[in-house]
Amino acid sequence: MSDFLKRLFSGDSAEDRSALNQVPNDPFSDRLEDNVKQLEDLFLYPANDALKSRALSIPSINRRARVLFIAGAADTEKINDHIIRPLLASQPAEEGKEPSVDDIKDNTLTITGSETIADFREAVRRLINGSTVILIDGEKNAIAADTAGFEKRSVSEPTREIVIKGPNNAFVEATDVNQSLIRRQLKDHRLVSETVTVGKESPQNVSVLYLDNIVDKTLVQNVKDRIARVDKDAVLTLSALEELIEERPYSLFPSIMTTERPDRTSSFLLEGHVVLLMDNSPEALIAPITFWSLFHTAEDQFLRWAYGNFARIMRLIALFTALLVPAIYLAVITFHPEMIPTDLLLAIAGTRERVPFPSLMELLLMEITFEILREAGVRVPTPLGTTIGIVGALILGQAAVQANLVSPLLVVVIAITGLSSFALPDLGLSVMVRILRFGFILAAFLLGFIGIALAFAALLAYAASIKSFGVPFFSPLSPHMPSSRDLFLRPISRKQNLRPQSLSPQESKRTEQEGGAGS
Amino acid sequence: MRRIGWKLGIVLAALFLSGCGERLELEMQAFVVAIGLDKAEKENLIEVTFQISNPQVNTSQAAEAQKEPPADIVTITAPDLLSAKEMAQSSLPRKITFSHLETILIGEELARDKLFKHIIGSAIIDPEMRREAMMIVTKEPAKDFIKNNNPTMETRPHKYYEFIRQNWKHTGYVPLSNLNTFYQRTDHELFLAVYATAQRDPEEHENDDTYLAGQVPQSSGDPVQMMGSAILRNGQMIGTLDGEETRLSQLLRRKNLIEAMTASFPDPANEEYRISVVFNRSENSKIRVNTDRSPAKVEVMVPMKMRINSNLSLEDYTRNEERQKRLVKAVEERLEKKSDELVMKLQEEYGGEPFVWYAATRKNFWTMKQFEDYGWSEHFTEADVDIDFEIEIESFGEQIRPPSLKQGGK
Repeated sequence: MSDFLKRLFSGDSAEDRSALNQVPNDPFSDRLEDNVKQLEDLFLYPANDALKSRALSIPSINRRARVLFIAGAADTEKINDHIIRPLLASQPAEEGKEPSVDDIKDNTLTITGSETIADFREAVRRLINGSTVILIDGEKNAIAADTAGFEKRSVSEPTREIVIKGPNNAFVEATDVNQSLIRRQLKDHRLVSETVTVGKESPQNVSVLYLDNIVDKTLVQNVKDRIARVDKDAVLTLSALEELIEERPYSLFPSIMTTERPDRTSSFLLEGHVVLLMDNSPEALIAPITFWSLFHTAEDQFLRWAYGNFARIMRLIALFTALLVPAIYLAVITFHPEMIPTDLLLAIAGTRERVPFPSLMELLLMEITFEILREAGVRVPTPLGTTIGIVGALILGQAAVQANLVSPLLVVVIAITGLSSFALPDLGLSVMVRILRFGFILAAFLLGFIGIALAFAALLAYAASIKSFGVPFFSPLSPHMPSSRDLFLRPISRKQNLRPQSLSPQESKRTEQEGGAGS
Repeated sequence: MRRIGWKLGIVLAALFLSGCGERLELEMQAFVVAIGLDKAEKENLIEVTFQISNPQVNTSQAAEAQKEPPADIVTITAPDLLSAKEMAQSSLPRKITFSHLETILIGEELARDKLFKHIIGSAIIDPEMRREAMMIVTKEPAKDFIKNNNPTMETRPHKYYEFIRQNWKHTGYVPLSNLNTFYQRTDHELFLAVYATAQRDPEEHENDDTYLAGQVPQSSGDPVQMMGSAILRNGQMIGTLDGEETRLSQLLRRKNLIEAMTASFPDPANEEYRISVVFNRSENSKIRVNTDRSPAKVEVMVPMKMRINSNLSLEDYTRNEERQKRLVKAVEERLEKKSDELVMKLQEEYGGEPFVWYAATRKNFWTMKQFEDYGWSEHFTEADVDIDFEIEIESFGEQIRPPSLKQGGK
């Protein structure tokens, strides 16, 4: 069985089927027709009409040339204005003073980011990334000009991490836009953006961002090593990459988090975290993370000290409510009836008299209904959204009680629990809590409060033992390390001048830094 | 994966096999809210009356069963409380539980019997017994008390007892008496239990608090009255204290438990009328016991604040410092006199004190053994007790001075 599981989970990576590696690494010939033919074959022309070409003659050297690009990947307007027009407008040069390929690239083209390339593999790589390749008759080198023009949406408001007060822009699917959003927040020349590729067959660029003067260098190396170890034909989004570079893919506890807020990303960078950006993903991956990263929201810092901490206290209550209340309810009414006031006890006992199921069944029935409702609410097309509300309110609220399927108090318990799980800011934390809740219900069913206490102790022990990229999950609280105590509650901004030492930043104090201080 | 599965199996097995025997659904339990203990006709047997709350009456709309009574009352004759609990099961389909039992009523006849301490002492073995349960001694058999107690507003018995449990805090007519304190004072110290009855035997007194339960002149409403206290010594009832004595005994403690209490006194400015005042005690009393001399000397200083509540004589105390002083002096003297009488009564008739003075005495000894050898209760009966009330007038009520009705007549 273990062999089977291994094959199932590890995936088949024995043979190297990387497409780019199958492209012959041949240099260009000096015959234009041969080069064009070769490229057309590689792009399966004419069956595939993606490769577009335009033949022209360059007056300055009086030779034929071909401009090739991929429709959809390149911006045709840029090609017209900055490549074809300058090439055609070039003045015929004097005999013997004809410009070289480099001269044309540097002095004729009005576009930045052009390079000369010499082989087909590079040409294919450039073409699929949106560059334009200019082949010139009689030359063994070609020019690749950066004309990438993938369609992208404009910067819009965040949908998951909403704040009432504070900046309201979110990452989009284009890395360059995302980088510009971060750089607008963090004007620091030491903000490094390294590019690594991931995926063998259809490689994607991943940008690794960090502040060179703060970040722990071994952490950067660790992250880059993990990305390098990814062995997949294609990694399309950051979410896929997240699971591939995670330490414990089976664990309920996340070790990396995503955020769609540039301001949050910047503040993580300032603490010495590493940020990963990738094309096609409207979010940033942040590593390493601690419990606090999941528990905090951006707004905690935007609001004044008291307001922000009030929100945090409420969130903490919500966390425990979402995790424990159904289990406590079950434990109390099946094991410890002496714990609740007599009035409440009699009310529950009275309504339970007509309910045909044991309390556990009753509770699971409602819990599962609520989870289905929640899943349905996410998937339902927007025009049908209101239906979910009506059906949910009716089924959960009234009908189930009137049909004596559940007792009214249980509806309250489930509603409070559900509401509390919505108050958890991070998706990973929220789902984790929802799953753990069922574990606690089982523990309460078996052993009452003792069961809950045992399960909670086990949960805490596990959570305190795990690490994300070498950083303990509850640090800097436990193990205790110097920090500005921005944990359950936050101190006032002026006192937050120490970076969490659990991340081993190079500069521990925020104020000694020259730029970007005071996130 | 296989290794983890194995460990997971052990954990789950431990959870499943550890037994869920204690688990019981709520609707399968019968919640006893009050029990009554009485002496049965046969020697060494007791009658146990269970008052079981009906969860389908007045609890929630969804559960309402309109024709059922709010509580079921079952009386069982058995050798002890726990066997009665078991025997009651012969007629009740639900499992009887004491987890919400907060009132224990004891018939005076049983309380005065030697059997009582054995019955109540063995009851605590049941882990379901709550030590904060209120202990009430009833003049008549407890089973009659339970039957006759039909309050109009609190039809559900637990609510009635819950409210009445708070009563002593505002009046001081009855002492705080729960099982926990009872088990602490099973020796020669006196324990005061609430004294109650559902039989009326009205008397009319000049003072407002010198009644014992049943004597309060009341003509309609629920027949139950709770006033005064039953004195228990060595787990056996030996006498009663009326409302006033109960109040004083609570004032003479070191720590204050009563929030406020109203009392009336003859008005020193005009003897034909009475003036009623509200006392509250914010500080602890100071108790000093001198055990070096014989007889021992007890000095008690009780600081109190007084608010004038009603002033029948309509004399103006607000603007007359002389009258204020006279009032304070009169009240102090009266309280001191009454306290001396109470202490004397306790010394002569009951041979012990319910004021927790033993705690102050204990401080004089190095070891517990020395204290036990000293024998505080014997020394108390001989002791010189000096009680001093220090009263301060806090306010003269909402109106600064009484209306000038009288002046018009002059």
